[in-house]
Amino acid sequence: MSKIMTVDVLSSIKGAQPSEAVNKLFEVIKNAQSANSNSFNINHNNSVSLNELRDDVVIESSDLEKKIITENFPKEKKGYLVVSKVIEE
Amino acid sequence: MKSQIRTIHQQLVNKEITCTSLVQEKLSLLKENTNNTVNSLLDTLALELAAKVDAKIAKGETLGLLEGIPFGIKDVYMLQGTYTTASSNLLKNYKSAYTATAIQKLLDAGAIPLVKENCDSFGHGSSSENTIFGAVKNAINPDLVGGGSSGGSAVNVAKDYTVFSIGGDTGGSVRQPAGYNHVYGLKPTYGRISRYGLMAYASSTDCVGPIAKSVEDIRIILNVMSGKDTKDQTTYASEEIKEENISNANGIKTIGYFKNFIESDAINSKIKSDFLASIEKVKAKGFKVKELDFFKSDILVSTYYTLAMAETASNLSRLDGSNYGNRIEDKNLKESYAITRSENFSEETKRRIVGGNQVLSQGFSDEIYLKGLALRDAISENFENDFKEVDIILSPVTPSTPPKIGDSLKDPHAMYLSDAYTVGFSLGQLPTLTIPQGTETGLQITASKNNDELVLKFANFLKDTI
Repeated sequence: MSKIMTVDVLSSIKGAQPSEAVNKLFEVIKNAQSANSNSFNINHNNSVSLNELRDDVVIESSDLEKKIITENFPKEKKGYLVVSKVIEE
Repeated sequence: MKSQIRTIHQQLVNKEITCTSLVQEKLSLLKENTNNTVNSLLDTLALELAAKVDAKIAKGETLGLLEGIPFGIKDVYMLQGTYTTASSNLLKNYKSAYTATAIQKLLDAGAIPLVKENCDSFGHGSSSENTIFGAVKNAINPDLVGGGSSGGSAVNVAKDYTVFSIGGDTGGSVRQPAGYNHVYGLKPTYGRISRYGLMAYASSTDCVGPIAKSVEDIRIILNVMSGKDTKDQTTYASEEIKEENISNANGIKTIGYFKNFIESDAINSKIKSDFLASIEKVKAKGFKVKELDFFKSDILVSTYYTLAMAETASNLSRLDGSNYGNRIEDKNLKESYAITRSENFSEETKRRIVGGNQVLSQGFSDEIYLKGLALRDAISENFENDFKEVDIILSPVTPSTPPKIGDSLKDPHAMYLSDAYTVGFSLGQLPTLTIPQGTETGLQITASKNNDELVLKFANFLKDTI
């Protein structure tokens, strides 16, 4: 996909524009000196080692949990949960 | 102040009060309060739990320390069956399907949840004005903001509406409102307490944080909530912090502070002089004090917001009204997403999502986002080097006193800059406690990673020193 996407499309927010308050913050970053600008997240590697990975298990939700999830669903019709019309493009 | 948890525990055990009357009294205070701290009251649940505690006392059974102790929960934590709105329009009718690990641990210990507390929507703010429930008013002066984003939680503790509250700290959201309302607020080491069931803002700095009126209460709650959790793989196993281990300052020799925080033009002159006076008192007690060099405040704030916005843009992308939330229908799925998000997110939340998508897009990510990550590494390295030379870093909590309600909304950039002293420690994932002493908005005590015990130890010492 080579189409250029604007921030309003990327953010799914109608009419969204970059703000001046936030752009001022980004200007500081652009102009900042960083000793190790080629590094990628050296000290903040929060990933988990392979030995520490938890087992892949399926946990059945409780009836109450299922009931609340259904209750939270925005639209219901004749016992079915209704989604918005899918994109046709 | 003495431990309120221990005092109330003793009153319950001695049958001087009943748990039901205690809970009823707090619920009435919360219901009548005019500081806008309440999003929803959990009265039915709280009174049911209180009756069980009373029955246990009547039978002469042993009571755990937290059993029957009423507490508040920032409205970003899941508690099964309760509304969890994040103070947002989008989730104003959303009910938690499950319970957050940290909250479950408190429930298992017998603490009683009273209230879901007002805060900045999704944690997006430093004043608790970015909320559909009305701006939180400061506990000391109601014309001023309660601080944010955990404003409702800090005000409830300060006003004694809750014995303790659980806030969330991403860039200062526990420490700053604690400072604004003269209570204790801890951001533990990142990963010490599970984030499972805390609505994600910026996952790499989000921390569960207790707010209370004494160091001892913070210690008790921290111990209960800490620990490894398979549902949050960034958690680590930690040891219990024992009361006797933090009773004196033995082993703490050198205290550091960041020179540029204090020499900045932005700092209020009274906060500056009070901070320096506190440093003198520490020196007078025989500690070595070292001035440290640190990154400029605008770099700290910009690095934090760049990364936090990128993370929040990703985290909040799930909020589209498909499976939950206040869906607004339009001609197709894509339009429904867009109208749902446009109408339901606040201006501040939209500003942060758009900022995050800006820095993550092609062409910007290298010069802003990746550079932000590199700066974060450099900040972390700086901390690592500092803690080779000092045991504790002491800082003011904020450069200024709390603003008037309304002022922060007019100038978001100024609000971002007001986080200058808290965000660095978030980026470093370091344990940091606000204490209600030293300056009008308190002091922050920071130690190296995983050294939360040392923070509490020094706080106990300062309690009697300044």
